[in-house]
Amino acid sequence: MTMVSVSSDNFQPVATDSPVKVDIRNLDFFYGDSRALKNINLGLAPNRVTAFIGPSGCGKSTLLRVLNRMYDLYPNQRAAGEVLLDGRNILDPQVDINLLRARVGMVFQKPTPFPMTIYDNISFGIKLYEKLPKSELDDRVETALKGAALWKEVKDKLGASGLSLSGGQQQRLCIARTVAIRPEVILFDEPCSALDPISTAKIEELIDELKTQYTIAIVTHNMQQAARVSDFTAFMYLGDLIEFGETSHMFTSPEKRETQDYITGRFG
Amino acid sequence: MNNRLPSDARETGAQMTDFAMQASTTREAPVADRAQALKQFALSDKTFYWLTRVSAVSVLLLLGGIIISLTVGAWPAIQHFGLSFLTTQRWAPQIEPAPILGGLGPIYGTLVSSIIAMLIAVPVGLGIAIFLTELCPAWLRRPFGIAIELLAGIPSIIYGMWGFFVLAPFLADHFQPLLIATFEGVPVLGAIFGGPPSYLSLFNASVVLAIMILPFITAISRDVFMTVPPVLKESAYGIGCTTWEVVRSVVIPYTRVGVIGGVMLALGRALGETMAVTFIIGNSFRIQDSIFAPGTTISAAIASEFAESGGLHQSALFFLGLLLFVLTFFVLACARIMLMRLERQKGT
Repeated sequence: MTMVSVSSDNFQPVATDSPVKVDIRNLDFFYGDSRALKNINLGLAPNRVTAFIGPSGCGKSTLLRVLNRMYDLYPNQRAAGEVLLDGRNILDPQVDINLLRARVGMVFQKPTPFPMTIYDNISFGIKLYEKLPKSELDDRVETALKGAALWKEVKDKLGASGLSLSGGQQQRLCIARTVAIRPEVILFDEPCSALDPISTAKIEELIDELKTQYTIAIVTHNMQQAARVSDFTAFMYLGDLIEFGETSHMFTSPEKRETQDYITGRFG
Repeated sequence: MNNRLPSDARETGAQMTDFAMQASTTREAPVADRAQALKQFALSDKTFYWLTRVSAVSVLLLLGGIIISLTVGAWPAIQHFGLSFLTTQRWAPQIEPAPILGGLGPIYGTLVSSIIAMLIAVPVGLGIAIFLTELCPAWLRRPFGIAIELLAGIPSIIYGMWGFFVLAPFLADHFQPLLIATFEGVPVLGAIFGGPPSYLSLFNASVVLAIMILPFITAISRDVFMTVPPVLKESAYGIGCTTWEVVRSVVIPYTRVGVIGGVMLALGRALGETMAVTFIIGNSFRIQDSIFAPGTTISAAIASEFAESGGLHQSALFFLGLLLFVLTFFVLACARIMLMRLERQKGT
């Protein structure tokens, strides 16, 4: 487990004690013949936020898409190696992809509300797995919207189209939708890149609250954001994992030269 | 309003030119050239504007001209039969001195054959489009798509011949007896799927129509399905949807406006389709309960009788043509209104 191997003296005991939630081992990824990820080894600690940073094309989004096997939708994309979720290899073809994706939720770069009402956007995912009476479903929708700090803004217009919300609200709706099906891991793929600073601050606050219940991975191009929200940071470059460690450590005294150059804005 | 735009632009251009000349006299020569060039642009702009305007207006004139000539041709029949034309089934052009002519048979046949064709073609066409966009292996996608589009390119007379010599006998010998036996004795359905099997029938014509409009529905829905952003589909897959759930709850709702547009276009084509239908519908003006009995459509009636008609008979055919025009117009108008309402719903 790489996470332990790169740990330094000031490593938090709570993280080392708890087993990793997602353990990535010797992971390679291919788009056709080109190798986009090269022998990645790292672990996501439970109830912690792990940020992936690096210049465009370094493979961080690809890595995220392996964790819920989103790449499976496309031909000519394949992964080799192991990704253990609670000890079970999710790259195994036997794994039920739909159940996996219910356990590993994802929030995308751009808000993607479904073409339906706000209420249905949330209840849709719940109804896929659970048959609930109306009152219980209402509760779940309310809880999810509260969880995504959106309830106050939309409680009087649950019947309106999800597309009628502002960009920041739509993104929080997508987070609520992900939270509603009670996943274990949430993947954020540059969740704030299309949002204004105020919405960004709200989402960052939200991520901080969500980590008490979920294991979180976030891809971001914003160094300050990575520093603000994450507990661990992984720096990737051209498909390699260059450095991985505690965020506080990595942003103050990175061990690798490339990491320092990237963080200080000298390249990338 | 619009044709003032270029001259406004030219004025601004001239002002700017003055300004530039005051600012720097050394650049006088190139600036003058530019003014010259702008003048030439203005001329070609104006020509272009008028050419496009004339093209657009001529379409409207043509449309109006067709409506007027249809109405003029139909006028004797409209005066003679009035609204009872719409409710009379009898079609007896040979009676002297005044023929008895009613349009109910062709109107009924047109509507029913189109409805049956839509019932067959819409689910099948959407199914093919979904297969092509969501499920089909990548290497099969292109050949399959091209094959479907080729279906649309086959001239309708060929569908007519094929329907007459191959499909209609097959349906009458194998498919119709099956349905007749299945529904025998069932109250309403027994009558609809009743009677002896027939080579020339409303049903056979509907099946050929369905095959003819299938490529329209498939091609348009495939194109609009492909406009669904991949990330939207991914987010549906991302909460654990199966392909079917993604299609039903995300792809189709997202594209419903386009799909309805495609379906309406196909319906418009089905209502007006002539040649293939004339071959196999049987050209009988009598309305019968069974869809396996011969019937006729407006366009089939006109195509098969127009050459030998005259006087009131011909005028009645004009009347039918006018009715078809109104019917198609009505369908397209309904489609427009529906699309507008959907769009407004989506907007709020």
